[in-house]
Amino acid sequence: MHVDHRWWSRGARRIRALLYGDQIDRELDEEIRLHVDLEAEELMRREHLAPDEARRRALVAFGGVTRYKEAHRDIRGWSWLEDLGKDVRYGLRGLLRAPAFSLSAVSILALGIGATATMFSAVNAVLLAHLPYAQSDELVRIYQQNSPTNRWAISTVDFQAVETLQRTFAAVGAISPRNMAVIAGGDPVQMPVGRVSSGLFRVLGVRMAAGRALTPDDDRVGAPPVLVLGRAMADHSLGGLEAVGRSVTIDGTAYTVVGVLPDSMIELAGVRSQLWPALQMPPPSRRGPFWLGLIARRAPGVSLDDARRDLAALSQQVFPAWSSGFQDSTARLTPYSLEHAVQGDAGTTLGIFSAAVLLVLLIAIANVVNLMLVRFTGRWREVVLRTTLGASRGRLIRMLVTESIVLTGAGGLSGILLGVLGLRLLGHIAPDLHGIAEARFGWSGAGFAGVVALLTGMAIAAYPVALVLRRERPATLRDGGRAVSAGKRTGTVRAMFVVAEFALALPLLAGAGLLLNSFLRLQRVNPGFDPTHMLTIAVRLPGARYQGDSAIAGYWATALPRIGEVAGVGSTGLGTALPPDDQNICCNNFDLVDRPVAPGGAQPTSPWADVDVGYFSALGIRLEEGRFLTPEDTAGAPPVAVVSRAWAQHYYPGEAAVGRQFVSGGCTTCPLTTIVGIVGNVKYQGLGGHAEAMYDPLAAGWPLAVNLFVRTNGPPRELIAGVRAALASVDPGVPLDDIAPMEDRLYASMADPRRLVALIGAFAGVALTLAAIGVFGMLSYTVNARRREIGVRMALGATQESVVGMIVSRGMLQAAIGIVLGLCLALAGTRALGSALYGVSASDPGTLAMVTTLLFGVAGVASWLAARRAAMVDPVEAIRAE
Amino acid sequence: MADRTELLQGSLDLLILKTLALGPLHGWGISKRIRQLSHETFEVGQGSLYPALYRLEDRGWISATWGQSPEGRRTRSYTLTSLGKKQFAAERTQWRLFAAAVEQVLDAR
Repeated sequence: MHVDHRWWSRGARRIRALLYGDQIDRELDEEIRLHVDLEAEELMRREHLAPDEARRRALVAFGGVTRYKEAHRDIRGWSWLEDLGKDVRYGLRGLLRAPAFSLSAVSILALGIGATATMFSAVNAVLLAHLPYAQSDELVRIYQQNSPTNRWAISTVDFQAVETLQRTFAAVGAISPRNMAVIAGGDPVQMPVGRVSSGLFRVLGVRMAAGRALTPDDDRVGAPPVLVLGRAMADHSLGGLEAVGRSVTIDGTAYTVVGVLPDSMIELAGVRSQLWPALQMPPPSRRGPFWLGLIARRAPGVSLDDARRDLAALSQQVFPAWSSGFQDSTARLTPYSLEHAVQGDAGTTLGIFSAAVLLVLLIAIANVVNLMLVRFTGRWREVVLRTTLGASRGRLIRMLVTESIVLTGAGGLSGILLGVLGLRLLGHIAPDLHGIAEARFGWSGAGFAGVVALLTGMAIAAYPVALVLRRERPATLRDGGRAVSAGKRTGTVRAMFVVAEFALALPLLAGAGLLLNSFLRLQRVNPGFDPTHMLTIAVRLPGARYQGDSAIAGYWATALPRIGEVAGVGSTGLGTALPPDDQNICCNNFDLVDRPVAPGGAQPTSPWADVDVGYFSALGIRLEEGRFLTPEDTAGAPPVAVVSRAWAQHYYPGEAAVGRQFVSGGCTTCPLTTIVGIVGNVKYQGLGGHAEAMYDPLAAGWPLAVNLFVRTNGPPRELIAGVRAALASVDPGVPLDDIAPMEDRLYASMADPRRLVALIGAFAGVALTLAAIGVFGMLSYTVNARRREIGVRMALGATQESVVGMIVSRGMLQAAIGIVLGLCLALAGTRALGSALYGVSASDPGTLAMVTTLLFGVAGVASWLAARRAAMVDPVEAIRAE
Repeated sequence: MADRTELLQGSLDLLILKTLALGPLHGWGISKRIRQLSHETFEVGQGSLYPALYRLEDRGWISATWGQSPEGRRTRSYTLTSLGKKQFAAERTQWRLFAAAVEQVLDAR
């Protein structure tokens, strides 16, 4: 009881002492005055002294008033805090007195800390964030896989086999995302639609905001079409939670809304959509096609390896039953953690960014440490003076640490601001990173910036503190009187930091150089078609109204002539693939008759496009051998195909490819397909991708979704309205929102490498600047410190050139050591760039040589600028000045 | 002056508690009373008196209030708290044990 009370009242008193320190000091003054007065009166009474003398004696008897006050304050228990406040104020004053130093140090730190905190928030949001489902680590995505690098989607057969035969999953579900024509109250629009089996809702454990989830009954072929709606779309066009029971038309079929997802579910299993219709799978007639995403939840206690073994056994069970249509016995159903599957290669991108940012931070720290050392050495006199006057080493160290913390604190605060901006910038630079749009800087980012700032502050203070600790007091007194230099050792340490800056800057520059080199090569790549004066339109006919080949063919038979009538239109073409960067290009497998794959082996696959007769001429793709497709190549005619030059070179190097035959899509009962022509290479899978391609006639099987290519005589943008009107006149119910000039698509396909180059280039620029500042600052300091020596040398007849040479060679030596170390780092590090590079090896000697030369050049210029001042030293003045 | 002596470490607290046990006093009064009671042997270094007062107050053994002296001066006078009385009793017992033990050692032959 007592103890508690005492503790409390003591605490309260201490807090009062902290808050009302001034008042307590005043009370103390009053008490002391009273004491001295009373003592003086007593002395006057007892010893009959004059009032002045009595007062003097009383004061002497009392002892040092100030010392007493200090002791009193220490007992009050907050002296450390008051001292800290004093130190911070002192640090601030010191920094304000050297604005150039403070401003550069703070901005360098802000840059380093801000960039690091940005990357932390991004990594936090993209890589470390869990999927928003219960026990999301149990979720897996299952692929078909036949080699460590080749995996693909699964088929209806696979899904049904897994659903019935698996023993390791609590639930399985299928998902098939694609753009479809949607009418929800207004005009038709193309929207991403995620068709899902009812199992997906059980797998993810999603709760509905209204209505119900899909049930197995909805999956049956012939069941009434129903769907689950995203909350955003329900709110936007269907009356929010009242949407249940209303109708949405997708590809011409009316679906009844049975449920609405909660606000937070803007995607399911990594697929972003607002429409989740029940996926009704017709019974399969062959093993393919592979079109489904399979998502499953591992049963409790089942490891990923258990699941893998279960699925492998299952794959071998399924294979023989369907081997006539699919002959790759090595393909296995393989589970991957859903989180990894959703993140994709975000790890690589963020890894590259993080490495770059870390290098910049380290260079920034090295630079600021160097600045601090220069400043500290300049203040050596002050330090010595303070030590002599009795400042304890502890107090000196505290002063140094506080100054660093004030510095990094300012840097950290500005860094937080930069980080908030940086994260937004990153959202623009890399919008494909899953979850980057939802990434918030928040308290975690600010906290991280704070920790980085604190660690940086400690790193910066470490060396000066070590100096103070190492020096014995008498030694300080000895050097302190005269020399500006704080010894040779500081000089060596500063040189080491300059070396480190160059060593860290080189990998960044090398990375930026490699990315730039690769970008320039990519820009020179011939896409294989003429992108100028071309409009592209993605058209998807509503499936309910266009059933069967003749209906679709009929639409295009009307539409193409109407577009041809629009003023300014040259020619038109149709194709299922959209160069230069078609994410969804369909791949088919084939088996060459004269080079068959052994039974059960993996058949080759190739990007595959269905095109009409106008396609090649509209895109300006030239015929190299044989013939183009003609109107006679229809569904009834013998199957034919055209291949690209790259395909021919791959499968028939140095031989004629025209006339060869193959089994298409593993269909051994279908007639053989004959190659009738070879056309020029076209890039379908990015400009950096390969150019193998096979073309089938569209007329052999019309899909609902095709791309319309319109060659125009003038600027394509001016024809958008005309083409749109022509298509709307054929059928106003067809959504036409994906219209763009081909040149825009070509530009967009370069967006990722362009952004990567810009970002890493910016980092490299910062690193280069910091390294240049580092070597310049170090040499300028050396010149100042060695003024006298330089003066003596010049007085003894050294020329200006030799003095400049001496200083420059010193800078260049440090740069050279740094560059050699940096090259080792770069050779080890740039390999991580591998997948982001095109046509350049990660250790490309040309790029490395260029970067090395650039760094040497910058080091040379910075050294020369610093050394020039040495040449201007007036020998007489320099010697006299000491 | 020659027969004045330094206070032993820790004994100042005990002396302050004793003087206050006789009644409330202000700082100067405490130092004067210690001087009188010790027959001028102890001159309390005032530089250590006030820190000691603050320390005792901090521990809750004495309490301080601002008041008026008979001459009309504003004074800060210190009073022994009930906790302080207990502490005084305990310290006195301890001091006596200590002093007796020291005497015994010094008298040993």
